[in-house]
Order: sequence, then structure tokens, then C-alpha cells
Amino acid sequence: MFMHVFTYRLKCLLRDYQSIFWTLLFPLIMATFFNMAFSNLNSAEAFNPINVAVVNNEEYLQDGSFKTALEKASTGDGRLFNLSVVSAEEADQMLRDNIIDGYIIAGRPIKLVVSKSGLNQNIIKSFIDNYIHTVSVFGTILSKAPGKLQDLLNDINNRVNYVKEVSTTSAEPDNIILYFYSLIAMSCFYGGFLGMREVSDIQANISPVAARINTAPVHKLKTYLYSSAASIIIHLAEMYILLAYLIFILKVDFGSKTAYVLLTTFIGSIAGFSFGAFISALVKKSEGLKVGIIISVTMLCCFLAGMMNQDMKYVISKNAPVLSYLNPVNLLTDAFYSLYYYDTYTRFFTNIVMLAAFIAVFCSGTYLIIRRRKYASL
Amino acid sequence: MVVNVRNLVKRYGDLLAIDHLSFSIKEGEIFGLLGPNGSGKTTAINCILSLLKYDKGEIEIFGQPMRPDAYDIKRNIGIVMQNVAVYDELTVYQNIDYFCGLYVSDKGTRKKLVKEAIDFVGLGEFTKFYPKKLSGGLLRRLNIACGIAHKPRLIILDEPTVAVDPQSRNRILEGILELNRQGATIIYTSHYMDEVEQICSRIMIIDKGREIATGTKDELKAMISLGEKITVESYSITENQISEIGNLPGVTSVEYKNNILKIKSGKGTNNLETILDYIRKENIHFGRIYSEMPTLNDVFLEITGKELRD
Repeated sequence: MFMHVFTYRLKCLLRDYQSIFWTLLFPLIMATFFNMAFSNLNSAEAFNPINVAVVNNEEYLQDGSFKTALEKASTGDGRLFNLSVVSAEEADQMLRDNIIDGYIIAGRPIKLVVSKSGLNQNIIKSFIDNYIHTVSVFGTILSKAPGKLQDLLNDINNRVNYVKEVSTTSAEPDNIILYFYSLIAMSCFYGGFLGMREVSDIQANISPVAARINTAPVHKLKTYLYSSAASIIIHLAEMYILLAYLIFILKVDFGSKTAYVLLTTFIGSIAGFSFGAFISALVKKSEGLKVGIIISVTMLCCFLAGMMNQDMKYVISKNAPVLSYLNPVNLLTDAFYSLYYYDTYTRFFTNIVMLAAFIAVFCSGTYLIIRRRKYASL
Repeated sequence: MVVNVRNLVKRYGDLLAIDHLSFSIKEGEIFGLLGPNGSGKTTAINCILSLLKYDKGEIEIFGQPMRPDAYDIKRNIGIVMQNVAVYDELTVYQNIDYFCGLYVSDKGTRKKLVKEAIDFVGLGEFTKFYPKKLSGGLLRRLNIACGIAHKPRLIILDEPTVAVDPQSRNRILEGILELNRQGATIIYTSHYMDEVEQICSRIMIIDKGREIATGTKDELKAMISLGEKITVESYSITENQISEIGNLPGVTSVEYKNNILKIKSGKGTNNLETILDYIRKENIHFGRIYSEMPTLNDVFLEITGKELRD
């Protein structure tokens, strides 16, 4: 009996294109849009070297210390400048063509030519000011107290940093990733559509098919469990496809704890399914109203979990922390982020236990409502 | 007895949907439940199937009390709901196989039964069709096939011909007679009196959840005082002639409206010849003249004072 109900349910679900769209294609499309919208945000925050030119004149060639300082600031991964050594005419042309943010003319004084003011121009100017200041300090000490020169050089070489950066994690903080995690949580809760249908198809007072099944010589809860198994398998497959798309195609970082990521997705999928089943059992109205309630509640939970605005998650945590624990979408999002960010599992397991409690409440509620075998009206 | 219902009472709040209904159905009968829409036919069926809670009464099927977990009884019941109950995502074949599989687990037996059901309802050309591609009549036939494929001893058909084209309706009615010939006991609910007259061996007329009358169609017609009904299409009858027709022996009422003269006679009276003689003698011009015996609608009308279709 299990295989009979299970295989036919699989066929039904795989041919329910509307459901497939909302539970699989829609999240894939959303993930793609998220990727297009957010992929440049992190890179925009990174510092890019400033394009600058220096005029290759006699003064520049003779001022060895300035030349060295400029070359040092223009080498390595963390370099400040992309330096071009060019003639005055070329530098002028590059500035007009916006290839460089400014150009430097060595000499006394050192001149900076820019076409507009801005952050990059200020940085170049600060660099030059700093160089002039340092040269001036050296000149003053050399002329007034030449004996102290060695002390100065020692001080420069033995700078002590009194602030030490200690990380509790090996991962970099990443706010953008929260959008993707909340998208997975939303997709998990769209599994509620499948849960809704399972309950509708077993409640004789909701659908004619259910009435027919209730007249068959099979316990209705068994039929429900068998066909729910098919729904959960389908939803899990959809969720793992989404996960694979995020990890392998969009390169979203889920950290290194793959088994826990899969476990979280599994728990989320069950939570979404049981949520939809509970709503369907509770609301004795049309399917349209049930779909409306599932979408509204899911989107509200997603909003509070920071899917539309990541600051919302922190506003809730700060002002109404209880809401964070009463929002299953937030628990799911937070579980993924805990796996990504923290090296310990305390926060992750707190979220998972809370989600399991939600599943228990949804399943118990659904059972208490659908267990009856006769109806007051059909 | 295949079905035995005693003193069944079902209330929806203040509304008494089934009012102390009692009836028994013998093996091999086609038992018709006839009544207007809202008379309680479907409610009674749902109570019999243990889908609905009821306030009072006893229901036995195959001599055993009917309960939701009476799986041995359910195994021998086939139900054809008023609303089409099939999965849109499964083909005709798959739908029949799925519902048959809830009763019959052996694949080989099921394959044979499904084929027989498909042949029985004439859906052989449509086995790979999805329900949305079927016409209303074919969909109703699929609905029937899903209910009877497992060869039940008792088949309950709740208004199976609603919104069905005449060709499919005839096929369905012939099919029900064939199922009965094969040994199934049938409960057939309808508000179409001609269908019930055509196929049912015994009929219960119900209204407002109450039994109005039960018997064979002849027994039911014998319960009323109405005999023959004669209809004359004519545009030239005077008030005096109408009055004289009313005074003819055996005539109980005369009504002339929209050039149609309707003459009703008492039970056991045959007035056609007398009326024709009078028409010839008075030289009344007429288009058509025809005679009818009482219908179940007349039975319903005489007992309740309203038409079945009201």
C-alpha cells in the first residue's frame, strides 16, 4: 500500500507545474536576481589602488627618497597606487581622459595636479603631505640634534601596535550572505504549499477526492503519511537543487560544515511542510485563502528575518529578542549563518532545537485536527 | 439486508436535514432515493458511508454496524460522488488504478479490474488522457469507473448524471443496469424522476429529510387519486365548453391556459374516447391531443403540494 500511494503521489506532484514553479523555479530565479543585485556590494567595499602618474622629470630622477617612497606605495597586494611614470604631456592627457585621478610633479615643492576633488585625490594629497612632513622631521633633527637620529630610526623600526585583532571565527563577516540564507528559509517555508495539499487531500470536508479516500478501506492517517513522504522527498530534492545552485553556480559561501548545512536544510524543509499542513488543517476555508495565509505569514517572517532589509534582523534582536525565537524563518536563517560564521555549535543547535519545537507543535496540531474520522458537515 | 437504516436523524444547527429516516435495501435491488435539491439525499448517503456524524439512528451494512474503521464493509462498497473526485495530474488509467489500488493490492488482479472498468464505461480510447482534456460526460464516466473498478457488492451513486449529455447519460444508466445484472446492489440518488423510473426497482421519495413514500413505481402511482391526464392543444374552446368537459363522468379537473387544455381524471378512469367524442360533436379545432399516465412528479405533487423541480 505504501509504494502504491507513494509512487502515485510522486507522479501527481511532479506534474503539478504550479507547485514546482513556486517551490523550485521561483527560488532559483530569486537567487539569480539576488546574485546580480548583491554581487558587487562586497567588492564595492574593498579598496582599489588609485591610478596616479608621476612626471618623469629631472627632479624626480634625482629625488631618490621620494622615488623610493612612491615605488614602495605602488607595489604589492595592498598597494596604495597604480603608478605610471610618464612625460608631463602624457600625464596631462591621462588626466583629461580620466585614466588617472591626478599626477605628481616632483621638485621643491612637490606639486599635485588634479582635475576635480574627491576621496582619491585627498588620499594622494595626504600621501604627499605625509612624505613632506617626514622629510621635514628628518631635516630638523639632522640639523639640530644629529645625535638623536639613530634613536629616531630605532623608533620608526620598532613601532608597537597596542591593539591586537583576535578573531572568534575563521570566516569573514558577510551581511550579503544573509539574503541568500533567508531565501533558502523562504523556500523551505514554501514547502508549506505541499503540506497544505496533503491535508486538503485527506479531509473529506475539504475536497471530493478526500471524501473518496475516506470511504476506502485504508486508515486515512496512513494514506496521509504515505503521500506526505512523497511530498517531503520532492521538497527536499528541490531544496538540495537550490542549495547546489547557490554553492556551485553562484558560489555562495556556506562554510565548511557541509553535513550540518544539509541537516539544516532538511529540518527547514520539514518545518515548512508541517507549517503548511497545520495552516491547512486549521483554516476550514477555500484553498485560495490558505495559500494567501501561507504566503503572507512566510513573507512577514522573511521580512522580520531580514530578507528585505538586513537591518531588520538586528532591530528585532535588539528591541524584541523574543520575536527572533518565535520566527522560524529567522531561526533557519540564523542556523545557516551560525554554521558559516561561528566555529562553535552552541548557537546553531539552539536554533535547531527551537525549529524542532516548532515542527512538534505544527505536527501535533495537525494530528489533533485531522484525526477525526467523521465530520459535522461536508 | 444489504443496508438497514433505522430512525436516522441529522441536524445542522437548527436545521433538521434528516428526519427519522428508515429504510432497508435487499440484495440485488436498485434502490432510488428521489427528492428535490436539498431534500437530504446526499446527507443520507454521507451518513450511510460514515463520513458524516449523525444525531440519532442506526446504520447497518451487510448486517454489521457501519463505522469509519469498518474496513471489511468498506472493501465491498463502491462510491460515485456527486462531485467528480479524481486527480487532475493522473491520466484516466492511472486514476482508476490508484483508487482501485486502495481496495485491491495484487497488481495482476488490479490490472484486469482496471481494464474491465475502462471497457465498462467506454473510455478505452482515452486511457492516456488527463481529466482536464475530457468532456463533462467522459469525466463523469471516469468518476464512475474510479468508484466501481474493484467490483463492489454495494454501489452508491449520488446524482451521477448531473450536467451530462444525453448520450453519456444513457450509457451511464445502461451501465448501472448491467452492474446490477452482474450482482451489485445499487443505491441511486437523483432529482431526475425519469431516470429513477427507468432503472430503479424500488424508490423512496424524500423531502426535507423525511420519507414521503416508498415502493415500486407502480405502487407509488397507485397511492395517489390521479388517473389519466389528457392534453389538448386548441385555440377555440369557449368557457361553456370547458365547463361541460368538467362535468363529464370521471373528470376531476379542467384547466385552459395558453391554448392548452389539461384534463385530469380520477384513478382507474379512462376518458380519452369520451373527450374525443365531445370534441368531434362540438366541432372544436385542435392541433394535438395526447394522454399520459401519472408520473412520480404527480405523486410528489399530490403528497407535498409542490413540484419535484421546485
